[in-house]
Amino acid sequence: MDFRTGPLMYALAAAVVVFVIAQSLFFIIKAWKRARELGVESEKLRQTVISSALFTIAPAVSIFATVLALASALGIVLPWIRLSVIGNLAYETVAAESALGVFGSSIAEPITDPEKFSTVAWAMTIGSCFPLVLLPIFCKKIHKAMGKVTSKSKTANVLGNILGTAAFIGIISAFIAKSIASAPKDGQSAGVLSVATLLSAMVFTIALDYLCRKKELKKLEPFVLPIAMFGAMGIAILLTQILPPDIAGLTWR
Amino acid sequence: MEKKAYTDKVHTWGKIWSLSALAVLYAVPLVFSVRYNVFPQLNLLLKALSAVIPIYWGTAIVEVLTYTPMLGAGGTYLSFVSGNIANLKLPCAMNAMDRAKVTASSEEGELISTIAIGVSAITTTVIIAVGVLLFLPFAHFVTDEGSAIKPAFENVIPALFGALGASYFSKYWKLSILPITAGVIAYIFLPTLPVGTMIFITIVVSLAGAFGMYKLGWVKGE
Repeated sequence: MDFRTGPLMYALAAAVVVFVIAQSLFFIIKAWKRARELGVESEKLRQTVISSALFTIAPAVSIFATVLALASALGIVLPWIRLSVIGNLAYETVAAESALGVFGSSIAEPITDPEKFSTVAWAMTIGSCFPLVLLPIFCKKIHKAMGKVTSKSKTANVLGNILGTAAFIGIISAFIAKSIASAPKDGQSAGVLSVATLLSAMVFTIALDYLCRKKELKKLEPFVLPIAMFGAMGIAILLTQILPPDIAGLTWR
Repeated sequence: MEKKAYTDKVHTWGKIWSLSALAVLYAVPLVFSVRYNVFPQLNLLLKALSAVIPIYWGTAIVEVLTYTPMLGAGGTYLSFVSGNIANLKLPCAMNAMDRAKVTASSEEGELISTIAIGVSAITTTVIIAVGVLLFLPFAHFVTDEGSAIKPAFENVIPALFGALGASYFSKYWKLSILPITAGVIAYIFLPTLPVGTMIFITIVVSLAGAFGMYKLGWVKGE
C-alpha cells in the first residue's frame, strides 16, 4: 500500500473537507439570517449564491489542475488537503521543494520514503499556518480601526471607500499586468493567448453589461462574469485550433 | 448598537473557527507521523523552514493587513482558512458586493461578502474533492500536452481578471490607469517577479494615485 494514498490519508482529507464545508455553512447561515433581519430581500441573497458558485467553477477546476501538478511527487491526497486549506500552488510547491531539497531530492520525482513525506507535510503546514495565528489576535483590531476612521466623518468615509476600491484595483492590475507582460521562472509566459483571452473577457463583460442595462435583463446580471470568463476561455481553445501553432504559442520572451 | 453586537459575535465565532482550523491543519502531519512513527528530524525541518518562513510569514502579515479591510469580518475568517484569496475569494466577494451595489464597510456589504466567500469555499472544496475521487482517470484531458482544452485552463487568470477588470475599469478608469501601467512597466524590466510581490507594488501605486487624485479633486467618490 502506497502510504501517500492509503486509507489514513483519505480519512484526513475527508476530515478537512468536512471542516471547510461546515465552517462555510455556519457563516453563510448566520449572515443569511442577519441579512433577512435587516430586510435584505431573499432574491438578492439567492443571486449572490448563484453568481458566486458560477464565478468559482473555472478557478476551482484550475486549482484542481494544480493539485495534479503536485500529485506525482506527493501522491494525490496531500496536495488535495493542502489546496483545500489555506494553500496555493506557488506556496505549496516552494515549501515541498525546499523540504525535499534538504534530502537532496526534488518534487520532480515521487517520494517513496515516509520520513521525507512527513518532513514535507510538516514544512507545508508550519509555513502556511501563520495567518490563522494572526487573525484571532488582529482581525478585530483592524476592523475596529477601520470603523473608527470611516465613521469619524463623511469625508473620511468617502476617502475610505475610494482607497478600498483603489486597493482592489491594485490587485486586479497585478494579474492583468502578469497576463500582458510577465515571464515567470516556472509557468506560462504572457503572449498571444494570454492577451487575447484577457481582451476577449473584457469585451464579453462590457457587451453583457450593456445588454443587461439596455434590455433591463436583471436575471442575467449574476451570470455576466461567469459567461464572460468561460467565453474567453473558449476563445483560447478556438485560437489554439485555428491559428498556426507558432503564432498561438507565441510568448513575448 | 445592534450592528456592533453582530460583528462582535462574528469575531468570537471567527476566533473559535480559526483556532479549530489550526488544530485540523496540524492534525494532518501529526496523525501521519504517529501512524508511521516517522517524525521529521528537527534540524532538517528547520533547514527546510528557514527558506520558507521568512517569505511566507512576512507575506501572511502583509496579506492580513491588506485583505482584512476589504473582505469584511466573516469573509476574512472564511478566506484565510480556505485560501486562494487574491485569485478567487476576494474577486468573488468584490463581484458579489458590486452586483448587489453595497460596500465592504457597510453591514450589508459584510453579509453579502460572507455569503459569497462561503459559497465560493464550498464550491472549490467540492470541485477539488469530486475531481480527486471521480475524475482523476480523466484528468489528463485537462493537463496533457496537446489536450484541446488545456489552453482554456492555462488562461484562467487572464479570463477571470479580464472580466473583473472590465467591469471595474469602466467605472473607475481614472483609478485604474496608474496601477496597470506601473505593473506592466515593472514586468517589462523584471519579467520573473512573483505575482505576490507585484500585488504589493500595484496596491501601493494604486493607493498613492487614488489619494493624490482625491486631494486634487479628480475623484470624488459616491
